[in-house]
Amino acid sequence: MPLTRPLAILLLLGLLALLALQRCDHEPQSVRRSRLLMGTVVEITALGDEQKSLDAAVSEAFLAMARVEELMSASRPHSDVFRLNAATVAVDVTPETAAVLVLGQQVAVASGGAFDMTLGRLKELWGIEAAEPRIPSAEEITAALVGIGPQALSIAGPRISKQTPALQVDLGGIAKGFAIDQAIEVLHRAGVEHASVNAGGDIRLLGDRLGRPWRIGIQHPRNSQTLIATLELDQVAVVSSGDYERFFEREGVRYHHLFDPRTGRPAALCQSVTVVAASAAEADALATAAFVLGPEAGLRFIEAWPQAEVMLVAADGSIVLSAGLKERVQWP
Amino acid sequence: MAVTAVLRRMTWLDRVIVLILLLATGAAFVLVGKGPRGARVVVEQQGRVVFSAPLAVDRSATLTGPLGETLLAIRDGHVCITSSPCPHKVCIGMGHIARQGELLACVPNELLVLIEGEEKEEPTHDLISR
Repeated sequence: MPLTRPLAILLLLGLLALLALQRCDHEPQSVRRSRLLMGTVVEITALGDEQKSLDAAVSEAFLAMARVEELMSASRPHSDVFRLNAATVAVDVTPETAAVLVLGQQVAVASGGAFDMTLGRLKELWGIEAAEPRIPSAEEITAALVGIGPQALSIAGPRISKQTPALQVDLGGIAKGFAIDQAIEVLHRAGVEHASVNAGGDIRLLGDRLGRPWRIGIQHPRNSQTLIATLELDQVAVVSSGDYERFFEREGVRYHHLFDPRTGRPAALCQSVTVVAASAAEADALATAAFVLGPEAGLRFIEAWPQAEVMLVAADGSIVLSAGLKERVQWP
Repeated sequence: MAVTAVLRRMTWLDRVIVLILLLATGAAFVLVGKGPRGARVVVEQQGRVVFSAPLAVDRSATLTGPLGETLLAIRDGHVCITSSPCPHKVCIGMGHIARQGELLACVPNELLVLIEGEEKEEPTHDLISR
């Protein structure tokens, strides 16, 4: 049969369609969804071959995070933390909450109390996240610090005891990280190999970003529109704590949400701290501890913690990096 | 006349292809002629940005307001509200938007969806730690 012009064009179009179809088959799929959870926007991105399974895994991951919020929110009646705060005797908590308390206790002891899960009364006193925050008197602060510290909680498996009934537990410095870890665990179990979970800037990465590292911008603590640095990372968590996240100002002084348990006032030695660690719960708690400790002691503390790196921005704006981060940081 | 001669030499398939090209060109003019396309979807609640995403990436987002969950869908460079707990569903009726400066609003559920302008350069990062 002679190859007429219409036949040639039809063959060419068919070939192009076949090539396009083949290309579509091998194009990596991505699912990116956001939800408001734990008082912040949580964005989960999953990359892989099949959209439907990625979508199902992301839905499961959000459910896992919502469960952590149910268990560890201090304001939700029936949550582990709510029951613990109301209790006058020992309380049994879920394995998840017990695991968070154990890790928190480890960070609290190792940091000499710079990280503290027993600051519930102090945080309520300042009301940084309330509609009308205020500067408490010295007497009020002293009273809110009575009985706090790593020794104030006894953890025996799921059974938690408070040294004094009035003690109020606040897991704000670690629960969000734990929720991120739970989401990553769910994604991993579902077979997802490349993903990120970003809860208001606290991030954990699963694998790399399809053949290249994830590029994580670190917000400048004094200019929210610019980045102070970019890190190329994979298979780790990166969490930043800063005095710019939640604060109020009175007479030109900034009062923020990261309290020094020794003084009961906002810690003043750093503008921000970014920690890279194996898990987001660790990174979350370590970042708060390093922020309170300040650039010098904070750097020593993080360098002594296994598999953790840190970038500290001191109160004067100078930057301190741990040894392992120096080769991975890119400046703007 | 030259055009008549060309038309006489064309086969039926040539004519179909020319027609498709003309239609596609016309459609492109209509679609592109309405002003600059947006680059990002930004959702604000009580003056705070609660969600932001590029228009170029298909996704859905569940946003929680005082009445419950509002579902936002980004598809093919457009954004629309597909589900809302508000009583009159005016926000769903606003259809989809894609151009810089356009907005959708759900007043009862306190959500404002805005389209922001084109990004000038390739982003230097995938995520931001803050």
